[in-house]
Amino acid sequence: MSTFATLLGKELRACFCSPAAYVVMFFFWALTGGNFVWLLGQLAHGESLTLATQLLFSGPLLTFSLPVVVPLITMRLFAEERKLGTLEALLTTPVRVHELVLAKFAGAMAFYMVLWLPVFAYAFIQHRLCPPGVAGFPDLGALAGGAVGTVLVGAVYIAVGLLMSSLTSNQIVAAIGGFALLFGETLGFTILAYSATNPLMRLVGQYYSSFAHLMDFARGIIDSRIVVLYVAYAAWFLFATVKVVEGKRA
Amino acid sequence: MIKVSGVTKKYPARLAVDNISFEVARGEIVGFLGPNGAGKTTTMRLLTGYLPMNAGRIEVAGFDVEKEPHEVRRRIGYLPENCPLYPEMRVDEYLRFRASLKGVRPSARKARIAEVKEQCGLTEVGRRIIGQLSKGYRQRVGLADSLVHEPDLLVLDEPTVGLDPFQIRQVRELIKQLAEKHTILLSTHILQEVEAICERILIIDNGRIVASDTEENLHRKLHACSIIEMEILADQAAAVGKVDALGGMNVRNASELADGWLWLEIESDSAAMRVELYNLAVAEGWPLRELTEQQHSLEDTFVKITQGKEGGR
Repeated sequence: MSTFATLLGKELRACFCSPAAYVVMFFFWALTGGNFVWLLGQLAHGESLTLATQLLFSGPLLTFSLPVVVPLITMRLFAEERKLGTLEALLTTPVRVHELVLAKFAGAMAFYMVLWLPVFAYAFIQHRLCPPGVAGFPDLGALAGGAVGTVLVGAVYIAVGLLMSSLTSNQIVAAIGGFALLFGETLGFTILAYSATNPLMRLVGQYYSSFAHLMDFARGIIDSRIVVLYVAYAAWFLFATVKVVEGKRA
Repeated sequence: MIKVSGVTKKYPARLAVDNISFEVARGEIVGFLGPNGAGKTTTMRLLTGYLPMNAGRIEVAGFDVEKEPHEVRRRIGYLPENCPLYPEMRVDEYLRFRASLKGVRPSARKARIAEVKEQCGLTEVGRRIIGQLSKGYRQRVGLADSLVHEPDLLVLDEPTVGLDPFQIRQVRELIKQLAEKHTILLSTHILQEVEAICERILIIDNGRIVASDTEENLHRKLHACSIIEMEILADQAAAVGKVDALGGMNVRNASELADGWLWLEIESDSAAMRVELYNLAVAEGWPLRELTEQQHSLEDTFVKITQGKEGGR
């Protein structure tokens, strides 16, 4: 446990003490701000209030930026260690590979969650702007659902990014690999879910599209099937990462 | 301390280490010598359990590297090739991180880090960022890291590569000091380094151990005869004839120097034959100004060993 804590501490420092992290943070926070402005515009044009909380987490601007943002967070995790040769230094200490992988995953998750913090500030602003008499605004259930969904989707994306990073010593390759996989997945299944003519394909899309899932979560619907699917996804990619790091040494 | 038996490591395209066996006793400083690409780094990675082997068995301090990798790693201080460090960390921060990973108890950590910093001459630079340190200092940080958990065995992969001559000397001095307490296996392709530091030499070439002995013994084995150089003032043909006639030696080379003196290169069974040569010169009335035994450099020996194998293949 103490080894894990040491590794996690190092990951957190590396995450929050690097200029690249702040660039990512700046752009993502600009996007959440943009999303909020767009949302206010929608509401000003008479869009239903029920959308207001939902779109805080699942605005398309945010959903479709995640496949870009997450690989930017995860690209350095293993690729940099390989490039510097520090992976060899790490794995010749009494560290277990799964501890290392989990520490990197947890560090990236922490950073990812910090990225989403402004959304709660926007929810608070909504709450303050809300005219008296409109009950249940913002919708706390939807807010919680959105947070859970965001964390689950993030866990899967980060696990995918981690696997990509473990496969190469080139951060750019890791980022582009993660981006291609995640964007392909999100866009592909979302297109299937919303515009496939074949009903079966449409169903497949609905089962797998993380955009559709996020919309549901942000409405406050926590579907246990989807939760299991995402946890299993993340676990599988982490397991694959452990195997890659164990196997790919030279 | 180290017991390697019949270890083989194959990479997809080639055989990196071919059925090697050697032992290193506690307290020894062993130089691991070989041309680039001979398998030095691979062997060290096998020793530390970083790479899996295809066949054979390695024991470090009585623990099997494959069965009890963590016990082995606790006992090895390993400095990988090119001394990998995190450039964005401070020296103290890095050493704290490494000490904690290597299981140095929190209560002892601070004192231990201060100790290795003192040993490696890092006391002044504890607050500096590693990426801004000179190569020599970075190498010392790597050494301090390899020492921090008080390992029985130090495995140093090319610890002086890329340093300037002054830094090389400092790192060598440091390694010599460390040798008092630790068993050291040190790889290098720099011959002077081995001559300067090591008690015993392991020469590896093309994935095989081709020699394992002290430096003097290696010389003795390889150069059965000694070469004597002599400079006299005499007629060449006569002098060569007289020397050859002495028995037990023969002239390999003779030439007249620019200043009229005669230079002879004589091969003989032993360097003790110099006395005979002196007596001969006195008896013949040859003025004599030089009579020395050629020293074989480790370089000659090394070239002879690795080339010899080359020819035999």
